[in-house]
Amino acid sequence: MYTLGIDVGSASSKAVILKDGKDIVAAEVVQIGTGSTGPQRALEKVIETSGLKKEDISYTVATGYGRFAFKDADKQVSEISCHAKGIYFLVPTARTIIDIGGQDAKAIRLDNNGGIKQFFMNDKCAAGTGRFLEVMARVLETTLDKMAELDEQATDTAPISSTCTVFAESEVISQLSNGESRNNIIKGVHLSVASRACGLAYRGGLEKDVVMTGGVAQNAGVVRAVAGVLKTDVIVAPNPQTTGALGAALFAYEAAQKN
Amino acid sequence: MSKVETILSQLKDIAANPKKAMDDFKAETGKGAVGIMPIYSPEEMVHAAGYLPMGIWGAQGKTISKARTYLPAFACSIMQQVMELQCEGAYDDLAAVVFSVPCDTLKCLSQKWKGTSPVIVFTHPQNRGLEAANQFLVTEYELVKKQLEAYLDVKITNAALERSIAIYNENRAVMREFVKVAADYPQVIDAVSRHAVFKARQFMLKEKHTALVKELIEEVKAMPVQPWDGKKVVVTGILLEPNELLDIFNEFKLAIVDDDLAQESRQIRVDVLDGEEGPLYRMAKAWQQMYGCSVATDTKKGRGKMLINKTIQTGADAVIVAMMKFCDPEEWDYPVMYREFEEKGIKNLMIEVDQEVSSFEQVKTRLQSFVEML
Repeated sequence: MYTLGIDVGSASSKAVILKDGKDIVAAEVVQIGTGSTGPQRALEKVIETSGLKKEDISYTVATGYGRFAFKDADKQVSEISCHAKGIYFLVPTARTIIDIGGQDAKAIRLDNNGGIKQFFMNDKCAAGTGRFLEVMARVLETTLDKMAELDEQATDTAPISSTCTVFAESEVISQLSNGESRNNIIKGVHLSVASRACGLAYRGGLEKDVVMTGGVAQNAGVVRAVAGVLKTDVIVAPNPQTTGALGAALFAYEAAQKN
Repeated sequence: MSKVETILSQLKDIAANPKKAMDDFKAETGKGAVGIMPIYSPEEMVHAAGYLPMGIWGAQGKTISKARTYLPAFACSIMQQVMELQCEGAYDDLAAVVFSVPCDTLKCLSQKWKGTSPVIVFTHPQNRGLEAANQFLVTEYELVKKQLEAYLDVKITNAALERSIAIYNENRAVMREFVKVAADYPQVIDAVSRHAVFKARQFMLKEKHTALVKELIEEVKAMPVQPWDGKKVVVTGILLEPNELLDIFNEFKLAIVDDDLAQESRQIRVDVLDGEEGPLYRMAKAWQQMYGCSVATDTKKGRGKMLINKTIQTGADAVIVAMMKFCDPEEWDYPVMYREFEEKGIKNLMIEVDQEVSSFEQVKTRLQSFVEML
């Protein structure tokens, strides 16, 4: 039995096809999210990669910010539940999940069976999210994929506020005007993102293993900063952008079995 | 339309159109209205003067612009809305505004009221265990009474006050009964309707509100109790608005079986007791009996335990904390309550409440995840 999970995020669309609830047949990411052609393209790509036909899919679960806008799903499940499900499938020792996506950040506490004990989300603010990093990358004349490498070359950490994206952007510009090195500022930006996310994790109580997921987990600079703030090792989920879609595909498998 | 639907529709109209409610009252009685700022006020005095007490708890979904002149963006959401409406003259038809100042934002706002109505400010004593606190509050209430009499040109007699106290006590008792009925009949009284019954209370004479709610309770109780296939929650916080937020509760079948909202059940928690003392003294004493509220000093911090008890007593699945954005007193209470919930294994969720907001996707995700988690 093949099931599909599609995670329609604010900044990207992710799709995973699962065989019999355990084998990942295909996983695809399209870097454009809800309200665009992204979800449909992610669907088409994952079908093509898997070599299957749409009618081979027994059940589809949509998750993510745009989950209710994706009309081809049999069911919608929240991204918190899907990330928890996907991460527990990949890393059964996970007890704290830090998920930083395009426009929100979440800390999820799991119990020993993978059930959600508690979760916290960021307030309605871009600070501490992928969008924050995008804004900073633009100001710093770099791209998201280069930020981790530049962070590694930093000799110091320039202090950047974690309160507000707009304030932080002004701070970055001030730091640049004062001649601060770009690499040090990037390290400060990563620390700023990590501080926000770790604040959420602390709120729910921290328990090992800590696993990072979401698109921002691909940035090794942020992962290092999170590990530094939490003073613990941080595991990065395999293919962190697609764990929500994987969780959705797992939920789809459970639902299909009940049908 | 059934009788229940008719009553609910009437109360929803009043809750949604306070200006009309006030204008109707004026046309009917020839008297005016007095604004009552959050959170606790000796409303009975206004009622005894023959005026309509009108709750001032902000507005739903209004964009803030003029208020930015006076308030920082991180002032509490209700006060942002109140300031915006003040600047627009929305409260200028009020004969006076009674202003309690139990938090810093209220204290500051009371000193820069931008409307034209006279403002009557009074202070609640926070050292609530002392007899001196009662005496202090009696003096404060005497000053409120004196100013009301002057602005309204009415003598507030003890006899009128006693009558108003009885009317208010009855209304509070009926509303406590309503809370239980709403818990038993979530299919009939959904989250939006429940809120409207409470909210209409702020814009009506309490005796009229009591009569309608009594009728509603009678009609609802005549129906068979149906099993509820959703989840049951106790909500706490300053308020739970706007209706779009409550619609999400309905969408995910979250029945509100009890609440500790400042705008709702905290207003009906404590009665003014009978006694030999005068009405002002007994009204002052009610403040000492108030419990489980973030703006009423409680060195033992009993709010978490109270909510745990409510959860157990009502058979609720969880507590939802509706955190008013930038409300310091509520933020201070939260970690204490959270720890107690976790220790007792009470499932809980915090959502943010912002009256200005018009997008609810994030809170929808939180509530959906929570329901999936329960």
